[in-house]
Amino acid sequence: MADTNALELDGLRRAFGGVVAVDNVSVDVRRGEFVTLLGPSGSGKTSTLRLIGGFERPDAGAIRINGSRVDHLPAYQRDTTTIFQTGALFPHKTVAENVAYGLRMRGVAKAEIAPRVRQALEVVRLSGYEERYPAQLSGGQKQRVALARSMVVRPTILLFDEPLSALDLSLRLQLRAEIRRLHDEIGFSAIYVTHDQGEAMAMSSRVAVMRSGRIEQIDRPEKVFAEPASEFVYTFIGESCCLRAQVSAGTAADSAGAPLELRLAQPLGEGAWRIYIRPSRLHLGRTDMPNGLKARLDFTEFLGDVHRYHFKAGKLELFVDHPGAVVHKPGDAVDIGWQTADMVAYK
Amino acid sequence: MSAGASDMAPSGPRGPGWRMRLTPWLLMSPALLIAIAFFGLPIAFMGRMSFNEHVDQRFYVPGFTFDNYAAMLTDPTFSAALWTTMRLALISSIVTVAIGYVFAMLVWLKPKRWRLAFIALALCPLLISEISIIFGWWMFFPKNGLLSYALVSSGLITDKISLMYTEFAAFVGLTYVTLPFCFFILLSIFDGIDKKVLEASADLGGSPVRTFYEVLLPLTKGGIAASFAQSFIWAVGTYATPSALGPDTLWTIGYLIQEQMLGKHNWPRAAAFSIVLTSGVAVVMMIIRMLTSKRTALNG
Amino acid sequence: MDAVMLRVLALAFTVFIIAYIAIPVIVTLVMSFNDASVIRFPIKAWSLRWYGDFFGSPQWVDALKSSVIIALGTTVISTVSGVLAAWAFERFTFAFKPVVYLLIMLPLFMPGVVLGLGVAMAFGDVSLFGVNIYGSRVLVMLAHSLWAMPLVFMLMEATFRTVDHRIVEASYDLGGRPVQTFFEIVLPSVSTGIISSALFAFVISLNEFVMALFLTTRDTQTLPVLMWLSLRSAGTPRLAVASVILAAAVFVSLSLIMVWYIRQLRKT
Repeated sequence: MADTNALELDGLRRAFGGVVAVDNVSVDVRRGEFVTLLGPSGSGKTSTLRLIGGFERPDAGAIRINGSRVDHLPAYQRDTTTIFQTGALFPHKTVAENVAYGLRMRGVAKAEIAPRVRQALEVVRLSGYEERYPAQLSGGQKQRVALARSMVVRPTILLFDEPLSALDLSLRLQLRAEIRRLHDEIGFSAIYVTHDQGEAMAMSSRVAVMRSGRIEQIDRPEKVFAEPASEFVYTFIGESCCLRAQVSAGTAADSAGAPLELRLAQPLGEGAWRIYIRPSRLHLGRTDMPNGLKARLDFTEFLGDVHRYHFKAGKLELFVDHPGAVVHKPGDAVDIGWQTADMVAYK
Repeated sequence: MSAGASDMAPSGPRGPGWRMRLTPWLLMSPALLIAIAFFGLPIAFMGRMSFNEHVDQRFYVPGFTFDNYAAMLTDPTFSAALWTTMRLALISSIVTVAIGYVFAMLVWLKPKRWRLAFIALALCPLLISEISIIFGWWMFFPKNGLLSYALVSSGLITDKISLMYTEFAAFVGLTYVTLPFCFFILLSIFDGIDKKVLEASADLGGSPVRTFYEVLLPLTKGGIAASFAQSFIWAVGTYATPSALGPDTLWTIGYLIQEQMLGKHNWPRAAAFSIVLTSGVAVVMMIIRMLTSKRTALNG
Repeated sequence: MDAVMLRVLALAFTVFIIAYIAIPVIVTLVMSFNDASVIRFPIKAWSLRWYGDFFGSPQWVDALKSSVIIALGTTVISTVSGVLAAWAFERFTFAFKPVVYLLIMLPLFMPGVVLGLGVAMAFGDVSLFGVNIYGSRVLVMLAHSLWAMPLVFMLMEATFRTVDHRIVEASYDLGGRPVQTFFEIVLPSVSTGIISSALFAFVISLNEFVMALFLTTRDTQTLPVLMWLSLRSAGTPRLAVASVILAAAVFVSLSLIMVWYIRQLRKT
């Protein structure tokens, strides 16, 4: 029993009309793992979640929870609970009644329900709110009740459907930390869907980056960030500058043909290239680095901790973050340098 | 919002297929049973009945004849009733829509605190039975009614007057009954219009009258059509109000049907008249539907 | 056309419309307290005499009872069937939707004469379990439902559309089966809609008299039918009293609903 995965998705496929929303998705979630499905809208992450929860039926593939197949079971017979984006609390029931609902549906003894509800509310730090109605709660409080409601049932898998997207920034950060804390404390298995990569990175055991219904890469957050498997993953995670260069006969030029003062430690072959570097790995005025580009400063932006310097080299645009006072003025020609390890090039 | 979520089909639990397909029909079975057993079947029955014969005192004799329909063409009472019904429905609908329009516009323009009172007022005719309405006017129009008394005692006229059993009284009654429907339809249309549009028109130099013709009227065309249709369809089928308040010669088709059934016990003829009336209503509904969809196509 | 002129017109119209709507109501109300045996203005003496007459007359009281019974029956029948059908329409896709829609909604546009006639003819000779259906109250309830049910259906279809589907899914998600979900989660959230449409059904049935005219006998006749039949011989204020009582029944049910509604609002 200890060895079976909490959840297994095997070649899952679902199409709506002519659009394939989930395309051959396979993931194994071990007990206690927190797996995030990360991607832009239309990537299939929500559709996958709904397949797991039982709100849609897959066209092909299998879903196993604790080793047994569930894809033919309707939502109310699966051992999963979902935390929805809008909370979806029952407006005509009190907080306590909401939290108790799942327990009642599963036939838990009446005597046991009240203490478990109380405990669940304690865990999400809403003790004393039992008799309130959802209309009397703030957005963050509603989501915490939704959390309690889904967790009190102790399902094999918790499903999160972008639960923080509707909240404002400070609340989002606060609840994000809470969910992380709860996971560390209780150790539930979860599938978390979001388009916010900061959330994904901060909360997950593993991140699955999705695009057009397929998983492009699934790995620990650090690995996805440092070793992106594809151009899409690279550009989706974190910020990056893109240098589009045409290389021919050993010289680099921009898309209009104007020559670039580009210096590369490992020269690139013929053709059109896209070179990516994270702005945090670009350095101003460093001719000592193995790679470099000479560019003209266009303007600077004040971002609080750093200034963001926006450069132009021909048709190329890139930006560099630099702390401290502004060291160049618009129009200056500056040498920008970077390490070879910090760059990726795609043709 | 869940991207890539389900298509038009609602996301019910996908249990075994057959149960999913059967459920909606189970849910609708009481409604369907009523609609079919008490509407569909009777209409079909009436259709068959309209071809039966009527001999002596029995309700009907099974047979097949076009006599009942032919009677409509030859019978002067019927064609008179047809003309009367059309005339009545048309004029009362126009009046009702006109009054309802102004009423709705007023309520729309007035500040919020008046709204509740006016809506309560507009609801009154709906909450009162038609017979009570008829009787109310019955006590207002005759010689000894309130109208006469009020006019005489205020010195406007010298002799008692009766407007009872006049076409005017019939119109007053008919309009009264259909007014609330028109009002509410038009009010909801008005509510869909941003009041700032009126300000914009004034700002650009439009007088109230111009604003009305160029801005308000075009925007409310749909409402006018819908409420007219509603009113007309109802008025075509009515018989109680005109026969009670209007002159004895004001026979509507509805009245004739009732007379054939309860008075002359001639079921086949009553059925035939009903079929004609029903078809007429259906045709009118379809025409209006075509006209309104054309209009929306033009408006884009 | 200047602003002042418009203001005057608006005022004049307001007075007109208030008067127009109020006249039959006021006239009836006032006349019901007339002490005389004739309907004539001005009223010389006031009393509750005719109210006493109404409640002392078995024929009229029975008619009132009949009306209320039938109205209650219609309400139950049309609300249940309308709500279920609207739910089916809103949550499911199935074949022949437009046909079913037409079948349910069409009777609403048919004249009462036609509907009443149809039912009377089709069921005139029918007897069930040895009891003649014709003249029975149940038949009238079913006929009235032809108007009431489409109204409930229309209102509830719109109401169901406002239900947040997420909470339905949340219920399934937590293990609630479909039937349970319907009663525990869906119905309470549309309770206002249901009560409103039930009220409509009640009022429609209570006030209806054309269909009832075709379908009732002397024993089961409703109050509006009795009033209509008494119209030609109406020399006394008795009919005015009947009108007031009928309207009172409507307003009583309306106020009950309002009280319930206000209680509901207190919850939030």
